[in-house]
Amino acid sequence: MLNLTKLSKNILAKKWLIIVLVCLGTLFFGNELKKLQIDADIVRSLPDDDVDARLLKKIGENFGSNNMGVIILETDNIYQPSVIEHIQLITDTLSGISGISSVSSLTNIINIKGSDYGIEIGKLVDEYELPKTALEFEKLRNNILNNPMYKGSIVSEDETASLIVFNIENEANVNLIAKEVIEKTTTLQIPEKLYYIGSPMLVTYISDLMRKDLTTLLPIAFLVIAIVLLLSFRSLTGVILPLLIAVISIVWSLGSMAFLGIKMSMISNNIPIIILAIGSAYTIHVINRVNKVRLEEQHSDTIKTALVYVLIPIILAALTTIIGFISFIFGSYLDMIVDFGIFTALGTLFACLLSIFFVPAILSVFNLKNKTSKAPKDDSFITNYLLNPLHQLIANKPKAVLLFWIVLIGFSVFHLFSIKRSVDIQEYFKSDNPTRFAEQIMVEKFGGTKPIFVYFKGNMQSPAVLKKMLETSAYMEESPEVYTSMSIAKLIDEINYNFTNSRTFPQEIEQIEQLWFLLDGNEVLPRFVNEELTEGIIISKFKSPDNKSKIEFAKYMNRFIAENSTEECQIQITGMPFVDITMDQSLINSQIGSIAIAVFFVIVLVGAILRSLKSGIFAAIPIIATIILLFGFMGLTGISLNIATVLVASVALGIGIDYAIHIISHFKASFKKNNDVYAAVQESIFVSGKAIIINVVSVSAGFLVLVFSDMVPLQYFGLLIALSMVSSCLGALTLLPSLLILMNKKNSQNEN
Amino acid sequence: MKIKQFLVFLFFSTLIYGPIQAQNAETLLQNMDFLIAAPKDKEANVLMIIKDKNGTIKEREANLKQKGKYKKLYRYTKPEKQAGIATLSLPNNVIWLYMPAFGKAIRISLLSKSQAFNGTDFSQEDMSGIPYSERYNPVLISEKNDPNYQLALSPKSKKSKYSKIILTMDKTNYYPIKMEYYEKGDKLIKIANYNYQKQGAYWFAKEVEMTTVLKKHATTIVLSDVKFDQGLSDAIFTIENLKLEN
Repeated sequence: MLNLTKLSKNILAKKWLIIVLVCLGTLFFGNELKKLQIDADIVRSLPDDDVDARLLKKIGENFGSNNMGVIILETDNIYQPSVIEHIQLITDTLSGISGISSVSSLTNIINIKGSDYGIEIGKLVDEYELPKTALEFEKLRNNILNNPMYKGSIVSEDETASLIVFNIENEANVNLIAKEVIEKTTTLQIPEKLYYIGSPMLVTYISDLMRKDLTTLLPIAFLVIAIVLLLSFRSLTGVILPLLIAVISIVWSLGSMAFLGIKMSMISNNIPIIILAIGSAYTIHVINRVNKVRLEEQHSDTIKTALVYVLIPIILAALTTIIGFISFIFGSYLDMIVDFGIFTALGTLFACLLSIFFVPAILSVFNLKNKTSKAPKDDSFITNYLLNPLHQLIANKPKAVLLFWIVLIGFSVFHLFSIKRSVDIQEYFKSDNPTRFAEQIMVEKFGGTKPIFVYFKGNMQSPAVLKKMLETSAYMEESPEVYTSMSIAKLIDEINYNFTNSRTFPQEIEQIEQLWFLLDGNEVLPRFVNEELTEGIIISKFKSPDNKSKIEFAKYMNRFIAENSTEECQIQITGMPFVDITMDQSLINSQIGSIAIAVFFVIVLVGAILRSLKSGIFAAIPIIATIILLFGFMGLTGISLNIATVLVASVALGIGIDYAIHIISHFKASFKKNNDVYAAVQESIFVSGKAIIINVVSVSAGFLVLVFSDMVPLQYFGLLIALSMVSSCLGALTLLPSLLILMNKKNSQNEN
Repeated sequence: MKIKQFLVFLFFSTLIYGPIQAQNAETLLQNMDFLIAAPKDKEANVLMIIKDKNGTIKEREANLKQKGKYKKLYRYTKPEKQAGIATLSLPNNVIWLYMPAFGKAIRISLLSKSQAFNGTDFSQEDMSGIPYSERYNPVLISEKNDPNYQLALSPKSKKSKYSKIILTMDKTNYYPIKMEYYEKGDKLIKIANYNYQKQGAYWFAKEVEMTTVLKKHATTIVLSDVKFDQGLSDAIFTIENLKLEN
């Protein structure tokens, strides 16, 4: 068994060593922090053990589909001289950016078409003599309408939008190039509206939002927590120490990420604020207890005595929080969530260790006794206006309190089943974000943005394989969710038509090999087939963000693939709609899995340390109630379960359980000493309750800062965590004490 | 008085020296055109080595027959999948493509000069065969003591992809050594390095390497078994012959 007195004594005896080690660690991790990189690419975070995700990644790497950016030019009518000039200007500007391998637009796209005497190979628009007259525009319009290759890729059917598509080289810095694209096209100051979309642009947008959040929200959260702490402790030590511990924990955990070469994702972007909120909590408990001991017991070795009291609750609280975060590792679909779980857990561990080693060392070295002499008195606002009425209510009407909670839980259970799920990346952006408009234009005018790839393995010059590709395209385009598709088979079919003036697909492999001559060296080729001509893809887009449509489409396509895939022509399908289906399902699995794991381990751990399984179960009750309330609130308000909000329950469990642990451990000690249930409850509420309230207010305030985030799921994340904190605090201060009174009344000296 | 005389001299010198410079540059470019188009006809095996930025190499081989400036017949021999494909270029930008698997020739109208020539780094404009002096206005930019001539060529037509070409020319024989192609904004886009050799009475480009700077993509064209003035018949450069010779 841990000898708390000895440990506390040792901590104080080796205070200088602790301080030096912490300083060295901070210097090391602080230096590592410089290497930390941001990676907002969701595709890279997809797991390799999922067939759809693996294939999607492979296609992204081999066919460059991850590196395709799109500029949408929107105006009242594309077929105007000035608009065509501006499209050419943008095309030329993009072509001049180093790292962009190809640009395709209305003004440079190759046009192969049959004529009376043969084939005309040229550009759709003469780059040196852009169309000016109505007749020239009519000719251009007809060329576009009559060529199936341009459907959904160049000019929208309502003729108000045109696409400029560019590809970024594999080894290029996507973020830098995407920024250069925005910067250079913006400085052109053309009157038409420009929107940017496609993976490189989205990833860059999200990275920027992440940076903005980090640089603006973190200082605000810092300030808010500082104010709450100042109001609560009314001492500089009470403000500086918790924040110092939080900052060191942040530096250490992010430094570890950088040290291990793990990049910051749009989920781990939350880590600093979470650690800031949690990391300060353990120090608050230490300071609170030191103040309490100093005030009541007048010990000469105040810090040591206080440490003996708080060591177990703090370690227990940290372990349970860590369990909450670690639970993400199991059953989570995205690697970024696993990383988030690991490094937030690590940050929590650092905060715990620092608060029990470093904080006492600092308090002792700097002899902060006098400076903290203005410790809050028992007649403080929290005690008089919150804890006292609460205690009166619980002591007098424990059954009524219990009934209130039962009604509240029942109401939440009723709404729990209406929770929506969403895996749409667009939900990351606020409704007024230009990306949302871009997405809308793409869906309405160009058949969507979610890429679908049908992957073929076989001889890409075999007539049988190419015909199967055409059949697959035709079948796919029959779905209302697919507007158009493009493949090497369609290109060959079109060239063959122009060459032979017949829609009969070539029967001989030699014919296809020779038609290929016209495509050799074309920049578009690597987007459809690999170098060895053994793999090829059909590229398409999916319209609906709706999950049901995705599931139906997956069934529709899988049926076709099962019937048509052969050894010589192996067919597979993937794309974001398919990944979304798995991700959506994983949200439920991950949620249930992580909560079940966390609850189980919390009960076992608390039960083991407090040497009572009953205590473990009791500690879990307020937090289980909180989780039900949380889901009820989400169902009632329509806040969807997504890759950010799926984290809330386990995070809330990990942090919220601490309140119950503090109450229950305090209650146990007091009840053991006095055998008076009412006195034990009163002492628990008045002593631990105060620290809990300070902690809830500071943690919630910290998380509420996320409401100002530029990323919508993070706003909800902040709001829901704050709500859970308040709820678990109320659970620990009302539901749990009521239960403790009702369960222990008979064994108490004082039954009234 | 002496100063006045000097100023008058300077004024007239400027008036006269400018046209002399232009005329010199024009003559130099015409000399180069004359050297390139000197043989009455030419036959050679052409090896095209296309290298991408990853170092992946693709090779093509063709037999080239050329008569005058504008009649060119390429019959491809490698890769084997495309063996027998032939392109016949005739004056006035007329190109015929023959594909043996279809047994027919079809006329291709190349509407864009900036388009790549058969997947190489050369554009149709680079391979057109039209004399440089007809397409560009030259200005001599090299100094008297420079080892080679250097000319800045600006396109006569606005339908050129290039804004200028800096041509380095051999001082003795007037063959090109290097050409740097620039586009709008004086941005260097391509570099061609020539290796000229003399065979009999004629100089010819034994090897030309064209590099696309931004894409780090390069094509080398190597000529072998070069024969000049064999008296190639006009009948070779006909559509009927495209099918017959296969």
